[in-house]
Parts: sequence; structure tokens; C-alpha cells
Amino acid sequence: MNIKPRDPFAPATDQNGADIATQAERWKAERFTPQADAGREAKSFVTDVGIQIKPLYTPADLDCVGFDYLEDLGFPGEFPFTRGDRAGMNRTDPFVISAYSGFGDAEICNGRFRKLIDIGTEQILVALDLPTQCGYDSDHEMATAEVGNVGVAIDTLADIELLFDGIPADSIKRIGTLGNSIGPIVLALYAALGERQGIGWDRYTVNLQNDPLKEYIARGTQILPPAPAAKLAADAVEWCAAHAPNWSPMTVCVNHINAGGAGSSMGTAIALANAQHYIDLLLARGLTIDAVAPLLHMFPDERHDFFISVANLRALRRIWARMMKETYGATTAAAMACRTTVYGHGQEALAEPLNNIARTAFGTLAYVLGGASYVYLAGYDEAVSTPNEESARVALRTLQILANEHGFRDTIDPLGGSYYVETLTAEVEQQIRAGMAEIERIGGALPVIETGYGRRVMTEGAVRRQRAIDSGARPWVTVNMHPQKPDVPNSAFRGDKTAADRQLARLARVKADRDGKRCATALAEVDRASAEDRNVVPAVLEAVRAHATVGEIVEIWRRRFGTFVPSTDF
Amino acid sequence: MSAINPMQARNRKIRVLMAKVGLDGHDVGARVVARGLLDAGMEVIYTGLRRTTEETVRAAIEEDVDWVGVSILSGAHRTLLPKLRRLLDEQGASDIRIIAGGVIPQEDIAELLAGGVSRVFLSGTSVSEIVDYLIAETRHD
Repeated sequence: MNIKPRDPFAPATDQNGADIATQAERWKAERFTPQADAGREAKSFVTDVGIQIKPLYTPADLDCVGFDYLEDLGFPGEFPFTRGDRAGMNRTDPFVISAYSGFGDAEICNGRFRKLIDIGTEQILVALDLPTQCGYDSDHEMATAEVGNVGVAIDTLADIELLFDGIPADSIKRIGTLGNSIGPIVLALYAALGERQGIGWDRYTVNLQNDPLKEYIARGTQILPPAPAAKLAADAVEWCAAHAPNWSPMTVCVNHINAGGAGSSMGTAIALANAQHYIDLLLARGLTIDAVAPLLHMFPDERHDFFISVANLRALRRIWARMMKETYGATTAAAMACRTTVYGHGQEALAEPLNNIARTAFGTLAYVLGGASYVYLAGYDEAVSTPNEESARVALRTLQILANEHGFRDTIDPLGGSYYVETLTAEVEQQIRAGMAEIERIGGALPVIETGYGRRVMTEGAVRRQRAIDSGARPWVTVNMHPQKPDVPNSAFRGDKTAADRQLARLARVKADRDGKRCATALAEVDRASAEDRNVVPAVLEAVRAHATVGEIVEIWRRRFGTFVPSTDF
Repeated sequence: MSAINPMQARNRKIRVLMAKVGLDGHDVGARVVARGLLDAGMEVIYTGLRRTTEETVRAAIEEDVDWVGVSILSGAHRTLLPKLRRLLDEQGASDIRIIAGGVIPQEDIAELLAGGVSRVFLSGTSVSEIVDYLIAETRHD
């Protein structure tokens, strides 16, 4: 939205014609300031994104940001989609109750999944262990002490089959995983899973994060240099456009970029630049924006300030809609409506972990009120370990409470029209647009990584946050105020110690039993497709069917494209 | 911060190697601490993501550091930290001491201290607390 100068001849007025701006100034001077000066303003009221919060918002603030209902909000499911990406939103289609889960090996993890589904989970995103995410098989030296730690170990199709044993791919709303640096492989694994279960690709929905670019500045599972990594991610999207247009093969993330220090506004700007990079790659292959855009989701994130979170989701939908329509010439509602996945966090603390239930619930409520489509919620013990069964259940129940009790989803965009929230939405939009303009000046998503710009933004933000916590400017219960007394040690969820051994045994068995010739032929074709700059997914799918391992496929790419050397700047 | 000036306490500045070992890619904490130690007048080297314990030990010895600060959020601390200590000792670098931070359950701390880690700083620790500790504990020989 453009900030329009306030027309001095048309002041905001109430029904009696009094000038609201003048009255607000008078109230502040006569009533509020004397109290505030008496020391009652206990903190700075500067949000994590740097927006200074005023004591009171009135129609005069909407005037200041040039608020125009039809232009800036419109109606849910209609341009510019500020009030919602769909017409009915949570009132008709409640947000999807989702779980991000995984640990140990496929056998033990399958048991957790069955329990989660049994209590109402509608979507499962598989948490993979770090060797899998980084493209190392469980028997690789780099996998030492990491197999099954932060997620489940997946080496071959046999593992995915076992993971979803008794869980047909079409029995819940969506299945998927992150797989940011191995997008085509996890896509192929889920496609092959449907084949093994006898379920057509049109009958289930796979959701992937498949957003490698943010890994280089935030999350750290990058394998290849950024350009070929983005190319492989685009391959997965292109394959879905042709073979599984109902799938959701890319979720472009603000989440880790914000958490790593960028703040939610700059994080959104970087994520949108990443989205533009993927979109441009796909358009260059001859796809239309109307075919590409609906395959992408966004993963917004704000965990410090509740109302900034609501404003961020609303601003993001507005910016996305205008970007698709004005920059890319999209013509369909599906292309202009930004669907969002969120993962509810707060400022989780190690001390007294049960308090994190309240923190994550409030953080998630902001996303629900902001109109998120797919909602996950962090386990209260995530600050110390992979969630245990109880914390995973509490996270699910919290989502069900948010969806069904208290009336949070009775009306669409319940905070729309609030003087405060609309002003923040406009201000957050300004911040995001300013960030996007800066990124455009330095050349887009790849230069953000290659010039170290993204990394600098992250470190500076993280240092700023740490100082705010150390100084007490950002209050944090049990950390910098109301300390825990006495100090009660945490305990952590321990995965089954035998899981890694089982995984290694299964991997050895699969390698011994597979058709070695078929596997080698398929891997050679992966290499050829990579060398000839073709879409790699068909070749990867055949390799996965032949029980090639994740590590074997990634090793081809390491040799073909080289590896990314992590920065040692700080 | 402590009253002792690290610049004057010895004839050289305190040298710290900040390291991420294993596959864990979350290095914000490591970088924030690295920046904080630098601001406090120490010499800081960061070795970047995804280093093996062997690479970390080699860098620590080459850089002649007083401390190795290891950040681990992946749960591999019980294997990797004692291994790091053992390798340092085997290379004759017993004088290089280890501090650790990240996602480490409190119930593991005793085991890590027994395994040769000098101190574990949990999330929520202020950077100045780490600075004070290093200034107080660095050997003045």
C-alpha cells in the first residue's frame, strides 16, 4: 500500500464531525502522558521488527497510513486476499491440524505416527534426521552419532514404506517432509510410496518444504552450491505441475530466517526473493505463472510479538497477491492467493518447560487469527530435545482446542478493521517492501547468499536480540525475570538406542537384496540427466524404485555440481 | 563484565575457537557468542558448519587457542564432546579446554563434565556470563 499524505481538508471525523486526530492528541497530552510520565510505562514498546507501538490507535492512524478498505482489504478469497486466501477460511474449512514428527528408525517412528493419527492428526510432515537431510546414508562416517537423532533415518524406499506401514497415503489430508536439500529425492520417495501402496498420485497430497535457498543463511543443511540446489528444487515443482498438480511441492520459508535473527519483516522479504528466484527458474522453462504459483506455499513466522504476527500474515497475503498480479501477470485466484503453513512457537525456555505450552499456544493463536491454512505447534520440550509422546499429544490437543473452543474461528479475519492491526499491517507491509527493494538492489536471492548480505543481516539481528534479553529490554519469564527457584533440571526424550543399529542392518539388507544392475543403471541415468540439465525427477524416481540410497543419489550431485563451503564469518 | 581486563591479565589475549561439530546447521548461537567474545577483547576463530571432531582439533592446535567453544543442537553431544576431549589429549593439547552450549539436557551435564568438558552453558545464558567465566578461568601462565 502506498502511504498517502493525509488530506488536510478531509480530516478523519467521528459522526459529530470532531477531528479525531486532534482529539487523540488532546487525550494523549491531557490524560495519558501525565500517567506515563509518572513511570507507568514499564518497557520500551519497541517490537522485535523495530516498530514502535503507540499507546492508542484511532481512525486517525488509518488515515496516516492511507487505509482504503476496498483497495487494501477487500473480501476473503478475493484480491488482494488480505482477509484470507479462501472465501470461507476457518469458518467453513478449519485450519489443518498438523504434526511435524520423526525420530529413530522407520519401525519405531511408525508407531508414533499411528498414535498421532489416532488422536486426530490430519497431516504429518516427517522430521528427517540430519544425515538424511544432508544427503549421507546412515552408514556414512559423517552420520556418526546422528542417526535417528533429530528425526527419522531414511536411506531407501524400504524405510518410507515401513514408515507408512498401515497408513495409506490417502488416509490423511497431506503427508510430506522438509527435504530442503534433497527435494527431488523425497518427492520421488513419496511418489514411489503411492505406487507401492496402490494409490494414484491424484488421490493423495504430498507437501514438501523443498526450499534450499534459506538453508545457506539460516538452517544449515545445504549440500551443493545455491544455483544447482535451486535448479533441483525447481525440478520437483515442474514435475508436480505435469504429474501431480494437486501436490504442494514447495513451501518457501520465513521461519528459519526470522528465527536466526533477520526478524519477521526482513525474513519475509528474503523469503519472497527466494520465491521469486524459484518462480523465475520455472517460468524460464515455459511454465505459466498461473500453473506455478498455486504449487508454492509460504511459511511465515513471527514469535516475539503477537499483533505483528497477525499483521505479517495479512501483509504477506497482500504483497503476494500484488506481486503475482502486477509483477508476474497472474490471472487466477489460485495463483494470487497465498496459502500459508505455520509452526507455532513462542519464546520457548529451558526452565520449567510446561510454561512453553502457554507460549506456543499464544504464538499459534496469532497465526490462527491471521488466517494460516496449515498449522503446526511446537512441543513444549522442543527447546531441549525431540518431542516426547506426551508433548506431541499436548501440541495436537492445543491445536484442537484452538480450532474448537473459545470461538477463535467463528468469524473470518476477526482482527480486520482494528485501528491497531490495520496500522501494523500497513507498517509491516512497508518494512517488507523496503527489504524487497534492498534485495533487488543487490541482485536478488543468490547475491543475498553469495555476498554474505543475508548472513550479516542474520548475525546483526541475533546479536541485537541477545542484547535485548541480556539487558532485560525483552522480558522473558524464568530467564531474565521471575527466575525459577529452585533450579529444576530438565529431562530429555531419549530415542530407542537400538534404532540406529536396526537402521544400519536394514540398509545393509536392502543393499544386498536389491537388483544391483537395475540400481546402477538408474543411478547412471540420474547422472546423465543432471549433466544434460534435464529435469532429474524421472531418473531419481526410477533410482528410488530400484532402492538406490539417498546418499548414493546425492553423491552424484556432489561430484557433478560441487559442494558448498560454509562461511566462517560471524 | 568482570573488572579484570583480558588485555592486561596476560601477555596475550584469550584465544577461542568456536566450532560446530557434526551435521547440526544451527549456528546463530555460536556466531552470537563469537561476536560477544570478540567485543570483549578476545581473539576468536570460527570454523563454520559441519566440521568433524578431527578437523576441529587440528584447527584448535594450529590456532594455538586457550579454549574450544562447541555448539551442538542435534543431540550428538554425548558422543562428540568426549571424543573431542580425547583427541585433544591424544594430540598433546590437554591445555586446550572445552566449553559447550546449545540444546543440551541438564541431566547430561554431569556426564559431559566427567568426560572432560570444563563448563556447559545452556540456552538463556547471557554472553557476559561466558565472558566472565573465560576471563576467570583462563590460565595465566
